Amino acid sequence: MLRFLVRRTLGAIVILLLISAFTFFLFYAVPRDPALLACGKNCDSESVALIRHNMGLDDPIPVQYWEYMSGIVTGRDFAAGSCPAPCLGYSFDDSAPVWDTLVDRFPTTLSLALGGGAVFLTVGLGAGLIAAWKRGTWVDKTFSSLSLVLSSMQIYFVGPLVLALLVYNNEILGQPSYVPFTENPVEWFSGLLIPWCVLSVIFTANYTRMARATMIEQLQEEHVRMARAKGMSGRTVFFRYAWRGSLIPIVTIFGVDMGSLFGGAIITEATFALPGLGTLAVDSVQELDLPMTMGVMLFAATMIVIFNIIVDATYALIDPRVRLS
Amino acid sequence: MTTSRPPTSPAETDPGDPFLSVRDLGVRFSTEDGVVRAVDGLSFELRRGQTLGIVGESGSGKSVTMLTVLGLHEPRTTEVTGQIRLDGQELVGAGERTLQRLRGNTMAMIFQDPLTSLSPYHTVGRQIAEPYIKHTGASRRQARARAIEMLDKVGIPRAGTRVDDYPHQFSGGMRQRAVIAMALVCNPDLLIADEPTTALDVTVQAQILDLLADLQQEFGSAIVLITHDLGVVADVADDLLVMYAGRAVERGPAAEVLRSPQHPYTWGLLESVPRLTGDVDQPLAPIPGAPPSLLDPPPGCPFHPRCAHRQRVPGDACATERPELPVGRGAACHLSLEQRRTHVIEHRQPGLG
Amino acid sequence: MLSLIYTRRLRAAAVGLSVGALVLTGCSSGGGGGPEASEDSPSESAPEQAQIAFADAKASTGPAPEVPGATPGGTIRVLQRDSYSHLDPAQIYVSDEMSLATLIHRGLTGYRMNEDGTYAVVGDLATDSGQVSDGGRTWTYRLKDGIKWQDGTPITAQDVRHTFERQFAPFLTSGPTFVQQWLAGVNGAEFRNLLKDGPYQGKHLGNDVLETPNDSTVVFHFKDPQPDLPFALAMAGYSVVPKAKDTKQKYDRAPVASGPYKIADFKANKSMTLVKNPEWDPKTDVIRHQYVDKFAITFNHQYEDSSKRLLSDSGENKTAISFNNSVDAASLPKVLGDAEAKKRTVSGFQPYVGQFAMNMDRLKDKRVREAIAYALPIKSVLQPYGGPPSGQLAGGLISPTQAGYQKDYDPYDKLKKPEGDPARAKKVLEEAGKVGTKLTFAYVNTPEGQQYSVSVASALEKAGFDVQRKDLPADTYYDRIGTVDNGYDIYHHSWGADWPSASTVIPPLFDGRAIADGAKNYSHVNDPKINSEIDRIKKITDQKKAADAWFELNKYILEDVLPAVPTYYFKHVQLHGSKVGGVVFSDVVNGVDPTRLYVVR
Repeated sequence: MLRFLVRRTLGAIVILLLISAFTFFLFYAVPRDPALLACGKNCDSESVALIRHNMGLDDPIPVQYWEYMSGIVTGRDFAAGSCPAPCLGYSFDDSAPVWDTLVDRFPTTLSLALGGGAVFLTVGLGAGLIAAWKRGTWVDKTFSSLSLVLSSMQIYFVGPLVLALLVYNNEILGQPSYVPFTENPVEWFSGLLIPWCVLSVIFTANYTRMARATMIEQLQEEHVRMARAKGMSGRTVFFRYAWRGSLIPIVTIFGVDMGSLFGGAIITEATFALPGLGTLAVDSVQELDLPMTMGVMLFAATMIVIFNIIVDATYALIDPRVRLS
Repeated sequence: MTTSRPPTSPAETDPGDPFLSVRDLGVRFSTEDGVVRAVDGLSFELRRGQTLGIVGESGSGKSVTMLTVLGLHEPRTTEVTGQIRLDGQELVGAGERTLQRLRGNTMAMIFQDPLTSLSPYHTVGRQIAEPYIKHTGASRRQARARAIEMLDKVGIPRAGTRVDDYPHQFSGGMRQRAVIAMALVCNPDLLIADEPTTALDVTVQAQILDLLADLQQEFGSAIVLITHDLGVVADVADDLLVMYAGRAVERGPAAEVLRSPQHPYTWGLLESVPRLTGDVDQPLAPIPGAPPSLLDPPPGCPFHPRCAHRQRVPGDACATERPELPVGRGAACHLSLEQRRTHVIEHRQPGLG
Repeated sequence: MLSLIYTRRLRAAAVGLSVGALVLTGCSSGGGGGPEASEDSPSESAPEQAQIAFADAKASTGPAPEVPGATPGGTIRVLQRDSYSHLDPAQIYVSDEMSLATLIHRGLTGYRMNEDGTYAVVGDLATDSGQVSDGGRTWTYRLKDGIKWQDGTPITAQDVRHTFERQFAPFLTSGPTFVQQWLAGVNGAEFRNLLKDGPYQGKHLGNDVLETPNDSTVVFHFKDPQPDLPFALAMAGYSVVPKAKDTKQKYDRAPVASGPYKIADFKANKSMTLVKNPEWDPKTDVIRHQYVDKFAITFNHQYEDSSKRLLSDSGENKTAISFNNSVDAASLPKVLGDAEAKKRTVSGFQPYVGQFAMNMDRLKDKRVREAIAYALPIKSVLQPYGGPPSGQLAGGLISPTQAGYQKDYDPYDKLKKPEGDPARAKKVLEEAGKVGTKLTFAYVNTPEGQQYSVSVASALEKAGFDVQRKDLPADTYYDRIGTVDNGYDIYHHSWGADWPSASTVIPPLFDGRAIADGAKNYSHVNDPKINSEIDRIKKITDQKKAADAWFELNKYILEDVLPAVPTYYFKHVQLHGSKVGGVVFSDVVNGVDPTRLYVVR
C-alpha cells in the first residue's frame, strides 16, 4: 500500500508539472495582454509597461514559470507582502491571494459535489438497480426511457426552469445560495437543494443506464448463474454476486465525476450564481488572470489525480485480484 | 480409459422408480428472430447411483435441458412443456422458492468453465459454505469446517488454509475441484456436470473424472454428464443419450451405444473422436455441414441434410418423415437395423467400447 | 459596437470604453426624478442639460435632507455581476466600484442631488466645492470639522496630501490621472516623474504644487487653468486615504472607510458585507444617508439572473436591488409590460455615446463621408440592444448627460430619418462622382453586431456603395479598430465622459495629436482648428462659456469635418424589489444611488 501511494504520488506530481507548464505556456499563446486589461481608461504605453513590470510579465516566460513553480515549494515575496509556501501568487485582477481564494471557494464546490454526488449516486444507482432487477418489464422500460430523456436535458435549461417553477413563481423553495454547513446546516441544505437536484439530472440518468447495463451484464456471468444453481435467493445473487462485479465500472466513473466536480461545477455554479471554483475558473480565464487561472487549474487537476488514486485504491477493496504494488 | 467402470454402486441395482424422469420435454425461447425450439420431445430417465452421459454438438440442447431441470432458464422468454420429475416431484411449473430449496441441495450443477464459475470477489471457502448454510441452517463456523472438509475431500492440499483464498489464487484444476466441492457440499442426490473437464488439461481431466466417480460411490448420487467428448462418456457413463437439434437421436447403455452405434450421427461423432490408442496418422473425420437452425428445423429427420446415408432409405423418407426413437435401446433413424449393423461392422474401430 | 455584457469584463483600456465614467444630467427626466421615477417612453427625449452648479459652503453643510418616508434599519441584498477588483480609491475607475465608493469613501468634493432633481458639486470633506483664484490655476479647500476615519482618528490635510502624493507611486495604475497630470503640467504617463516613488521614500510634492499650510487647508497649484477640478475631485478615484493606515498594495484589499458604511467582510468574487460606520457623522455629510443597517452584496449575478430574481419579487428578493446591473434585453419587454414590475424600475442614461468612426486616412472626400452619414440607419444599430429603453437616438456628439447638450441638434437629419436616407445619400454620392466606392465595414462579431451589420450594409449599398463586411472578434474588437493602419473604412464604437463636460469626450476622440495605435482617435482626424480649439476651450474657466464652446466645436467637427456619425446615447433600466425604498437613478454613478436606500417596513 505504501509503495503504491509513493509511486502514484510521484506520478501525480509529474502529471501536475506537465499540466502546469501546459497551462502556463498556453496562457501566453493567447494574443491578449493582461496588463492592457488592467490598465484603466486613460492608458498609454508607459502605463502598460509599468503594469507589466508590476505583474512580473516583463521577465522571459520560462523565468516566470520557474519563479511560479519554485514559489509553490518555497514561497515568494511580492510587493503586496510575502507569500508563504505553497505560494500560488496574487490575482492580477483584484490582488487577492490565490491560495486563500481557493481555500475560500472550495467549501462551496465541495458541498455542491458531495450533495450532488449523494443525490445522483443514490437515485441513479437505485433506479438502475430496479431497472435491472425488473429487466424487460414496463418498470425497466419506463426507467430507461426516462433516463434517456433526462440525459438529454442540459443544466442551463433545467436550472432556470426549476428556478422559475419552485422559486420565482411559487416560492416553494428559497433562492439557491451557499451558507456554510458549520454556520447553519439547515440553510446549507435548503440553499443547495435545487443545485444538487439540477446538477444530478444528467448524472442520474447516466448512472441509471450504467448501473442497469453493468448489472444485466453481470447477471449473465457464469459465477452468477452458479450462485443461482447453488440455490441462492434472487436477492442474494443480485446483491452479493452481480452487484459486486458492477462496482468497478461504477466506482471508476464516479471517481472521475467526483474528481472533476471537486474542481468546480462550472455550469451549475454559473446558473445559480454559487461562488465556487467553477465560476472562479471562468472569471479568471476571462480576466486573463494568470495566477488565478493557474491556481484553479492546478487545484482541479490535483483533485482529479487524487480521485484517480482513490479509485485505484478502491479497486483493491472491491476486487481481491487487484493488488496495490 | 479403455475399460468401462464396473457397476459397484448399490443404488444401481435398485429396480425402483427412476430418480430423475424427463418426459416429452419441450423448451422454446422467444427471440427477436422467432421461436427457437431448443429442446423438443425429449424423454429420459435416471436412477440413483447411475451416470447418464448426454452427448451432442454445441447447440444440440444438452445444456438447455439441464438448465431447465434446475429451473435456471429465463422464465419470461422461455416456454417449457412436458414433465420433469425429481424423486417424484414435478419441477415444470414449480415455484422459484421450491426450486431454490432443491438447487444446491437435492440437485447441483457443475458448469463447464471453472475459471468463471467462481465469483472472484468472495473466498472459495465462503462460496462453498454459502449453500450449506442456506440449506442445512448450519452456523458460519460449522459451514466453514464443512468447506474445509469438502476441499480436503476433493483433494485440495492444506485445505485449512486454502479455504480463505480467493479463486484467482487457485490453479484451474483446483478451481474445478472447488466447484465440485461447492456442488457436493449438501450431498445432492442429482449432480449435473456440464462439460466439467473441457477447460482442463488431460491429466487433470482424468483426476476430476475419478473424483466424480469416487464421490458418486460414496454418496450414491445420480450424475448427468453433459459432454461432447465420447472418450469421457465411455469411461464413466452407464447410459448414453445422443442429442441432435434438440431431440434424442439414440440412446442405450453406454457400452452398447459405443460398441454398436445405430444412428449415422453417432457414427459421425465417434469418427471425429481422437483415440489415444489409435493410429495417430489416421485422419479424423468430422461430420460435414453444420447443425440446423432451431428457428426453422428441416422437415423429416433433422439430420438428413448432413447424412451420408439418406439415399439408402427408399422414397426419400428422411426428408419428409420424422423417424421415431423407440423406447429403450435404439435410434431415431429410417435405416433398417440390418443396414446399421453392416455399417458398424464395416467401420469397426478398436479402442472404444 | 461592443455588447454591454463585455464592457466590464474587457476593462476600459482594452475596449476604449469609458467603463467607469461619471456623468450627470441634472434633470429629473434624466432619471433622477425622485423615488420610483421611471423614464422609458421611447418618444420622449431628454431635456436640455442644466448647468451643474459648484456649490458654496451653505449648500455643502450637512446633514442631508431626509428622504421622505425613509425608516432606519434592515438589510438590503445587493445582486452584482462583477466582484470588486479594487477597493483602494486610487485604483477605482469602473462604475460598479464607483457605486460602492459612494458608501465607503469620501473625497474633497462630491455630487449632491437637489430636491428638484438637479445636481450640484458640493464640498464633501471640504467646506465647499473649492475657492478658485489665479485665473483657475489655484484652488483652495478647507476641511470640515468632525470628519473621521472609521477608527475614529480625524481626517486631516496631511491625509489629503498623502492621498494625492501616493497617486504618483508606480503600483497605482488603474485610477484616473487627470489631477496628477494637471499638477505635473504634462500629458501622459510621464506625470509620474514628478514624484517617482510617491511619498513612500520620504519625498513630497513641493509647496508650489500642493500646499498644506495647516491641518485643515489644502491648496492645489496648477501650471494651466483647470476649471474642471471640482468635477475631477468628485471622482471616486480621488477619495482620501489615511497616511497612517496606508498599506500600499494591500490597501486595495482592506481600505479604511470614511463614508457611512465600512466593509465588515469581503470575499472576492463571492460576497461583501457593509455595516454602519459609527464614526461617520451625518452632520458633516450633505450627500449621504445611513438608513440601512447592512448591505449584503453577492456577486456573479448575470443580468439575466438578477432580472429574474428581482422580477419575481419573491422572498428575500423583495429587499434586493442591484446597484449596477441593467435589466437584460430579453427581460425588458416583460418588465416594462408589467405595470407592477414597471413601478419597480428606474432608468437613466449611461455616459456612453455610440458613433460610427469614418477612417479619415481612407475616406478623404468629405462628400463620401456625407453620403455615409445620410445613409446610416441609426435606429437599426440600437434595435438589437433593446431599442428605446437601451438608448436614445443621437444627433450630436454631446450627450444629454453633458453640459451643452442640445436636443434638436440634428445636422444630418438622423433623428428625423432614423432608418437612414439612402436616396439623399445616393444623390450626394452621384454629385461627387463616387458611386460604387468600396467601403470596408468592420463590426463586432456578437449576435447584436451581426444583426446591425446587415441593415447598415444594406442601407449603404442602397446609397451606391460597394460594401465589404468584416467581422471582428469581440475580445479584440477595440484592439483591431484602434490600430492606425487598420484597413477598415467605418466601424462603430462608444465612448463615455468622465464628468459632465465635453472636455473628457472631444479631446480623446478628435485631437489629431493623439493619433497612435491604441489611442481613442478612431477616425484619425487631424484638423488644426479642432486641435487649437481643444487647447483653448480647456482653459475657459466659466462653465457656461466652456459648455457653449464645446458645443460649437462639436458642430464644427460634425458639419465641417465629419469624422464620425453619432448613433445613440446609452441608457439602461434597473429593477428593484418592492421592499426597497428611496430608489433613485443617480446620474453620478449611472445607476441606482446607494446612499438614499432604505427598507420599506
